[in-house]
Amino acid sequence: MLTTKLPPLQRCLLLVSRRASHLARQQYDVIVVGGGHAGTEAAAAAARVGAETLLVTQKIHTIGALSCNPSLGGVGKGQLVKEVDALDGLCGRAGDWAGIHFSILNRRKGPAVWGPRAQLDRQRYRQFIQSELLSTPRLTVLEGSVEELLITEPDPEKPGHHRVTGIHLANGSHPISASSVVLTTGTFLSGSLFMGQTTSPGGRIGDAPSSAGISHTLRERLGLRIGRLRTGTPPRIVKKSVDFSQAELHLPDSQPTPFSFLNTRTCCKPEEQLPCHLTLTTEGVERVVQESLHLNCHIHQDTKGPRYCPSIESRVLRFPGRKHQVWLEPEGVNSELVYPQGLSMTMPPDMQLRLIREIPALHQAEIHTPGYGVQYDFVCPTQLSPALQVKSAQGLFLAGQINGTTGYEEAAAQGLWAGVNAARWALHMPSVALSRTESYIGVLIDDLVSRGVTEPYRMFTSRAEFRTSLRPDNADLRLTLKGFEEVGCVSSIRYQEAVRVRDTLHEGLAALQALVLSTPTWRKKLPDMGMSEAKSTVLTGMDVLQYKDMSFEMLASVFPESLSHYMEFSQRLKIEAVYRPHCDRQKKEIERIQKEENMSLPQDIDYFSLPVSLSQEVREILDRVRPSTLGAATRLQGMTPAAIVHLLNYVRHSGQKDRTHSNQKEETEEELCAQNASLPQ
Amino acid sequence: MLPLPSIYRGIWRVAVHTIRTRGSPHSRHLCTHNGAPAGLVDADTIFALSSGHGRCGVAVVRVSGPASATALRCMAGLTRSLPSPRTALLRSITDPQSKEVLDRGLVLWFPGPHSFTGEDSVEFHIHGGPAVITAVLQALGSVPGMRPAEAGEFTRRAFQAGKLGLTEVEGLGDLIHAETEAQRRQALRQMSGELGRLYQDWTHKLKRCLAHVEAFIDFSEDELIEDGVLNQVDRSLYDLQTEMERHLKDERRGERLRSGVQVVIAGATNAGKSSLLNALCQRPAAIVSPIAGTTRDVVETALDIGGFPVLLSDTAGLRDSPDLVEREGVRRARERVEQADLTLVVVDCAPLPFDTQQAVAFLQEHLRSVLPSQEQHHTDRCLLVLNKTDLLPEEQRQTLDGELRWISGLPPVCLLSCHTNEGLHDFLTVLHSSVKTLCGDPLSSAPTLTQARHRAHLQQCVAALAQYQQYRDTDLALAAEGVRLALTSLGRITGRVGAEEILDIIFKDFCIGK
Repeated sequence: MLTTKLPPLQRCLLLVSRRASHLARQQYDVIVVGGGHAGTEAAAAAARVGAETLLVTQKIHTIGALSCNPSLGGVGKGQLVKEVDALDGLCGRAGDWAGIHFSILNRRKGPAVWGPRAQLDRQRYRQFIQSELLSTPRLTVLEGSVEELLITEPDPEKPGHHRVTGIHLANGSHPISASSVVLTTGTFLSGSLFMGQTTSPGGRIGDAPSSAGISHTLRERLGLRIGRLRTGTPPRIVKKSVDFSQAELHLPDSQPTPFSFLNTRTCCKPEEQLPCHLTLTTEGVERVVQESLHLNCHIHQDTKGPRYCPSIESRVLRFPGRKHQVWLEPEGVNSELVYPQGLSMTMPPDMQLRLIREIPALHQAEIHTPGYGVQYDFVCPTQLSPALQVKSAQGLFLAGQINGTTGYEEAAAQGLWAGVNAARWALHMPSVALSRTESYIGVLIDDLVSRGVTEPYRMFTSRAEFRTSLRPDNADLRLTLKGFEEVGCVSSIRYQEAVRVRDTLHEGLAALQALVLSTPTWRKKLPDMGMSEAKSTVLTGMDVLQYKDMSFEMLASVFPESLSHYMEFSQRLKIEAVYRPHCDRQKKEIERIQKEENMSLPQDIDYFSLPVSLSQEVREILDRVRPSTLGAATRLQGMTPAAIVHLLNYVRHSGQKDRTHSNQKEETEEELCAQNASLPQ
Repeated sequence: MLPLPSIYRGIWRVAVHTIRTRGSPHSRHLCTHNGAPAGLVDADTIFALSSGHGRCGVAVVRVSGPASATALRCMAGLTRSLPSPRTALLRSITDPQSKEVLDRGLVLWFPGPHSFTGEDSVEFHIHGGPAVITAVLQALGSVPGMRPAEAGEFTRRAFQAGKLGLTEVEGLGDLIHAETEAQRRQALRQMSGELGRLYQDWTHKLKRCLAHVEAFIDFSEDELIEDGVLNQVDRSLYDLQTEMERHLKDERRGERLRSGVQVVIAGATNAGKSSLLNALCQRPAAIVSPIAGTTRDVVETALDIGGFPVLLSDTAGLRDSPDLVEREGVRRARERVEQADLTLVVVDCAPLPFDTQQAVAFLQEHLRSVLPSQEQHHTDRCLLVLNKTDLLPEEQRQTLDGELRWISGLPPVCLLSCHTNEGLHDFLTVLHSSVKTLCGDPLSSAPTLTQARHRAHLQQCVAALAQYQQYRDTDLALAAEGVRLALTSLGRITGRVGAEEILDIIFKDFCIGK
């Protein structure tokens, strides 16, 4: 699947427009604002679902730019990349194309928490994303700045106080209308940049600030609750000024593992991968931070920062006297720069230089671009539905940092899901949700919309209660089938591959299950396994594969006729065998939660007049948060058990009335999915 | 399996046995069993004491789920056939392990779907003594696939199958409200005791261990988290496991959990609270003096009122005091009132206004200052004792006696004089009927049931910790799952621990970057 050539650009260029007057049409199904990780996934997903889509971005050549770290994946984040890929998103394949250093983190801690990760070549990543978008059918890319959202009266048939009908561009040309708009403005929503004591408006250094119009509309016109968050980025260092001999060399995996389920290899050859280097901070670093504090207004700005340490300043202040790790990461094959992961800072540039030179490997280092901090607005995500639609505004979807998250992978995951739902809204298909029991994307979205954020939200595996079921290895089984059958965002090629994988795994597990031998026979066949003498029971191949040192390859070499056929999936079969009993045990709990999540609470309930006995306090909580499902309601703070019983009862009774109605809806949905599936992707 | 069903599960943690709604449902999907450690079969069978706590002739123990028939067979010595459905049968009830005869009683077999829960069900009607009940519950717990019901679980299964009518559901909501109140009081009581402190301490240690394992999983490859962190966790978890196992083997029971109806005497200083205690127990259990603030600590006496066990506590008079010792006494007094099943609010009736309206306002104000805010609407959990009637003119005493009794919005009012014992007899009658109501109310603390449940959760916790040890060196994700399960099991006694709480510890203990 991985070609070494990018799609022909000439053909794609026809779909690009730098001026609105050149647009083939003034009306789209979906408009996506922003070309970052959320925006690109949103636009591509909306087009895959079947919507005529327009992506509007300030500069076409920054589409797919990695604004901060030159890497993708990691523990928790890698799971998100695998899931985005399983739903046919871009970032996994882009990572395989642009990766220059692949490694699986946590390799020795169990497959459920393996963290696929890669260092990326910034330029190659951007190239891939751009050429992919420009060759996506039904997707048009437009360079421009959005001045204003078009808002009208809501469709009275559906919940919501407003309806979004399109956008107005800054250059005053015609409005462009659309049924759905996805905002993925990243740090550009009322963004300001901080360095030392100077601040300037903007969302990323080198880019123009976006217009205040959108921010104003969200706040004033739609009345959304807006919060403010901070982030930062480290200085970029000139590679040839770094003394790598004073840092610890870290080599990539000798055999790179691709992110994408469609790829069997990465673009970068194993031997061409670049290394990373690890070094540590010193007492001198701490001293410079202390001395520059009075010149560092970002650090002073507000005291209730996040619980983690986003910058070297906060690390040193919160954990003084310790050494902190600094990773020196390559920026690309031909790049002259090094990215010092762990050295985000906002002090004046001269102090930044002093600080990095306190680190032995950087004692003569030169700074190419200084680090800086960003403050930006985000929309409190409890105002969104699990489809990432603003509850009060029909057709308006938000994804990425605008929802209070941090990280490329978190942005991509939301972008994909918002794009899917924006397209479905535009095409009059019912919205779809992912449960926290089936995916990290579901955990991410559920955490956002039902709990909200107080600090930039980042994915950790510890957030997923069903971590042992939501593994990176089985993301395709969890999501690709559903993505094709129910969501409509997966190509038939990918679907067919997933079906093949599922069936082969099934057969392989059945073959293992069918290998039933007594313990003495197993001992004879596998003398090195150290099976205990005492037991004389029968064991299946599944049981034996659960042994720590037993690999599928070893079993297959003893029983070639029944097992060698499945060698392609030897690793996945081993993981399945070990995890199966644990996952089976979780199944019941998962089913229970899914059942609660399937009981949806209508979004237009007037909780104050609901004819059931609820206390005023509970009514207020429900009215404020408007949980989408009974499951979400149970997770609200301040809900009483009695209130849940009343709600449950309400849902059951109102659910029965609606049944006939929703059957009709499902039919249309099936039709549309079928249509969509037959379209070329 | 961290954020368990939270509040929603809380609903069902209320005492099961009160609800006698008819209906027969079955829905195993929604039942609240979670993370059964190895050994428990998949579809669980639940059991609970379904009749009230307190003195009773007959107790009913109800069993529901697929293993019901097995339980019936092995406990009632029915090796071949099951009794005919819905027909009472007199059998010896034996412990399936020790074969010891526990009691002789009636057994009833309700094959699904024609049962209370729609599943196969069994009822044991046994003698009502606490020893018999405990023995039968423990014997049931030893049958494979059986576990004590989460509170409300029977009704939950009934409700989920949609067998309850609309009005019954509305009633259930109200009932659950009352139950959670009782449950809250009971939890407070247990948690402030020695046992509570022990469980809290374990939870705290487990949380920390989990946070450190999670930190090692999520951050050790990027941040500076050394392998030594895990070694420390190994030691702590091993110690915890040993401690819990020892605790489970320890057969001393009951002494740590106070049983009986908790009656607390409270009020302003010098209202005559200690005199009331002495009058009730007919001996000078507490020191009385005309000096305000004589009682500084809680004085407890076990009493038998009309055959019901009562634990009567006298508390320090409520006032702001500069004296540190007295302040602590007042704090303890408030804590006791918070945990009480019944509060006797003692008021010195001398300063009571003559006008009835004003007197009512005065008493309401007084109640507000004594009772915790959430209790103020529960007038049935309180008696108002107007003491020192001997100091009132006869005319006023009669007016008060005649009018205050029938004022709505006030709890039952009793006039008495601890000095002359006038009115004491009437007061005892009122107290007796209140205590009787409370004892018949199975929501008041039922130590046997609570203990059985605690035991089951602790056993699950220990089994889950074994999973950590089993996978520690091969698969840290599965090992961490063991700690998560352990914390969930313990959390069912001490309260749920959410993912955010774990992250709080991680961010506090380790320097985690962006």
